[in-house]
Amino acid sequence: MDAHTRKVYVPMTETGFYILYCLQEPNHGYGIVQMVDKLTDGEIRLAPGTMYGSLSKMEKDGLIRFVKEEDKRKIYVITGLGIEVLELELKRIKRLYKTVQGEK
Amino acid sequence: MMETKKEVRYFTIFNHEDEQEYLRQNHMAGWKFVKVTGLGMYHFEKCEPEDVVYQLDYNKEGLSQKTEYVQMFSDCGWEYIQDFFGYSYFRKSAKMMDGEEGIFNDDSSKMAMMERVYKGRLIPLLITFCLLLIPQTIRTLLEGQYVLAVFMGSASIVYIVFFIYCAIHYNRKKR
Repeated sequence: MDAHTRKVYVPMTETGFYILYCLQEPNHGYGIVQMVDKLTDGEIRLAPGTMYGSLSKMEKDGLIRFVKEEDKRKIYVITGLGIEVLELELKRIKRLYKTVQGEK
Repeated sequence: MMETKKEVRYFTIFNHEDEQEYLRQNHMAGWKFVKVTGLGMYHFEKCEPEDVVYQLDYNKEGLSQKTEYVQMFSDCGWEYIQDFFGYSYFRKSAKMMDGEEGIFNDDSSKMAMMERVYKGRLIPLLITFCLLLIPQTIRTLLEGQYVLAVFMGSASIVYIVFFIYCAIHYNRKKR
């Protein structure tokens, strides 16, 4: 992982995190919107401008890759680098959680 | 015959939020936005007053793959209206929303859009300025064409003021 990836994606936005998390299985943008809605009980609603921008940026940075097009929707999946970033981010969140738990 | 109206409005590239509000207020007053043409001629047609949220995106990559780009917005309930100087116009009825909704759900993606506007619109201007206006001003001065030099110089000052204005605006948004 290069310095750019580390700087931009660790820590990452909640949107970025959910996109990577959902793309462990191939999916398109709107599919991710629906999945996140379900996962968070409607608490996080991803909007199309954010979604489109994040997907193209992550594709450019090599965190996800384009698989195919289906019904005018582009399907993406996470890459090895994406998994690495996701794991790093998870580790960071776990550490935060542990710290807070320790305070009790 | 449908009743229509036209209005001339000018919004600078960083005032797209005011523009969105302008279109929303018009719709609320019973004027549905049809299109914008020329240098800022806004066309409306009479409609039932309704609260409709208007949003502008600036995404060149989206425009180059327009079918997929527009599809993503329409999947999320946003009607695509048109493109205008790199901006894409969308709207969605407030009735269809659960609380206030926009095409961006976080500040970092809003900021990323501003950066795209900055890169797409301002940098070409800056390059024109540095490569054309400044050398031309110096040349006219050296050649003793003072009337032309004053003209070029004034244009340069307008440019500089504009860049400073943009820089201030950008930094304020960033905060």
